[in-house]
Amino acid sequence: MPIEVVLRSIFSALFVASVLRISTPLILPALGGLLSELAGVINIALEGIMLVAAFTGVIVSAYTQSVWMGVLAGIVVGVLFSSLLALFHLYLETDIILAGIALNIMATGGTIFLLFTLTGDKGNSSSLASGAVPTITIPFIEHIPFIGTVLSGHNVFTYLAFIFTWLVSVFLYKSPLGTHLRAVGENPEAAASVGINVKRTQTIAILLSGFLASLGGLSLSMAYLTLFQNSMTAGRGFIALAAVYLGGRTPWGTFLAAIIFGFADALSNQLGSLSVPPQWVQMIPYAATIIALVGYNVRKRAQARERARKFQEQQLKELKTAPAE
Amino acid sequence: MSRFLKSPAVRSVARVVLATAAALLLGFIITWFVSDDPVGAYKALLLGPVSRLNRFGDWIEESITLTFLGLAVALVFKAEQFSLGQEGQMVLGALVSGAIALFVPLPAYLRIPLALLGAMVVGFLWGLIPGYLKAYLDANEIVSTLMLNVLAVKFYEYMLTYYIKPPNAGYTASDRFPVEGTLPTFFPPIPGLENLRQTFINQTNISIAIYLLVLAAIVVYYLMYRTPFGYELRMVGANIKFARYGGINTKRVIMLSMAISGILAGLAGAHLSMGIHRKLILNIQYGLGFEGIVVAILARNNPLMIPFSGLAYGYLRAGADVMERSSDVSREMVLVIQGIIILLVTAERILPMVQQRVRAHRGEGNGDEEAVQADASLEAGKGED
Repeated sequence: MPIEVVLRSIFSALFVASVLRISTPLILPALGGLLSELAGVINIALEGIMLVAAFTGVIVSAYTQSVWMGVLAGIVVGVLFSSLLALFHLYLETDIILAGIALNIMATGGTIFLLFTLTGDKGNSSSLASGAVPTITIPFIEHIPFIGTVLSGHNVFTYLAFIFTWLVSVFLYKSPLGTHLRAVGENPEAAASVGINVKRTQTIAILLSGFLASLGGLSLSMAYLTLFQNSMTAGRGFIALAAVYLGGRTPWGTFLAAIIFGFADALSNQLGSLSVPPQWVQMIPYAATIIALVGYNVRKRAQARERARKFQEQQLKELKTAPAE
Repeated sequence: MSRFLKSPAVRSVARVVLATAAALLLGFIITWFVSDDPVGAYKALLLGPVSRLNRFGDWIEESITLTFLGLAVALVFKAEQFSLGQEGQMVLGALVSGAIALFVPLPAYLRIPLALLGAMVVGFLWGLIPGYLKAYLDANEIVSTLMLNVLAVKFYEYMLTYYIKPPNAGYTASDRFPVEGTLPTFFPPIPGLENLRQTFINQTNISIAIYLLVLAAIVVYYLMYRTPFGYELRMVGANIKFARYGGINTKRVIMLSMAISGILAGLAGAHLSMGIHRKLILNIQYGLGFEGIVVAILARNNPLMIPFSGLAYGYLRAGADVMERSSDVSREMVLVIQGIIILLVTAERILPMVQQRVRAHRGEGNGDEEAVQADASLEAGKGED
């Protein structure tokens, strides 16, 4: 297929819509990663929480034949799973990174183990009739050319991703608990000295982060696909974590960064139709993550240097203007 | 006796043994729920590896890979660098050593060392990248190494599919390595034992990698505890600010710790390709990604203990294979056990808490006070190792 066709499809409304769809399972866990990161606990277990929630959602919706029961169960189990992280890190003093790694390993093994026990298949849950969350068409907007295709007709989770980005930013900057959360992450001793309960705040941050990661996992298995595959998160939990840093640790920055990764992923889907070896194409989102990670830090440094230079200049100016003693 | 029980080394071993036992017990409870024959399944898990010579071979081969990975992890973890890039370094090590074993027309005594060297170099370089990014550009090593793993695996698949696989083969795998490119058996040709040696060659793939491994464990120990670099590495791990004020070039140490760790992961890859499979196959790394971590944690990052924890954990994995083949329980159950082991071994509070409970239960009066003392001695013990 010639390159023009690929280019034309990239600049189409359908492509933009697909970017939003692909970004959804990144935005939601990234917001979760942001909350725990700002509270001073790096949540490596996003990947595992997503996997557990994705699995539970599919299984419960298949057995109860109710989509919403599946979603609810996925959230409950995902949050419970993240509470293990809080328990072990905050109360039993396990290293946060090792605890996160342990949870990820348990999630990978446990979901395959249960999938095999329930279906006799280790690969995916296609033998189960699991549910999919509905899509929403926005009245009026859906008829506007281009914008209608881009904004309307997505699944519930895509809209939730937008809503939660807004909610998280309100929570962090407008609510007392959000302010406490940021204070704890900034300087736990100082926060404790003014009477903030550090452990409790961090526990809440981890549980909220588990809630958002669960939504991300569910969006993967009940919207993006409608079945569970073994290790279907494929590193999204870690890409989400990278989006937190790339987004400058702010909600909307994180949201944008997740969309950039979604764009790279969608692009690699489009390039799949060219005669490029698929492995090269599949590398794109991961390579993009590394480049973004480095790019963010380089930018951050340049800004820090700039600030230092301005500060020096100001000091010099003050010295010059000050009367000689 | 009680002093013996309070020594930090004994405590540390006791803790690992207790944690493993607790995790195995939890595993059994899980098995009880899902299996029609839980006792049979668990028997296969616990006794499988020693039931036949070929299974014994599987155990030892697996343990060699795990030990190399464990050494790789211990080295970076000691510097408090959480590099998870062993998988990628291992895959590239397998690729490079495999390519040399297949295509470089040299006699065995040159080809094998060259292949091993190739694996070490590529592991070093692939570890250098996240090391540089972390040290000089402040890029989180967990994220970067995980991304680099995917890149390495995709590159491996690409090379295998487009260059190494025989052109008209219906499967994605290389030809079998020639004898000149295979690690020879570990069994020395002792006169009188030719038959036993032949049995080992026929039924197992245990190779000279096992000697390399002992050597590697000693070298890593020496590097960590007897060289200036090792001192700097441990200082960076213990307190990076202190290390910096003490004049240590912490950036260089961070970068090199990840790169040197890559050498060991690369060797694990060479063992996979030239020792175990003797050809390059798709998903050669399957299920090995994070296994080095549990091996290192079980040994509390002590290089001389890692071969033992590698053997212990390899036993569990080999047992899981037997269990999957002979019962209705899938091998992934072991991953759950693994996660529980990591959590229990690394949870600093569990042991003191249990002790406190036990004392209070016995009604020894001032149990709390003693528990606090025990805590203090544990802390002191931590400082020593």
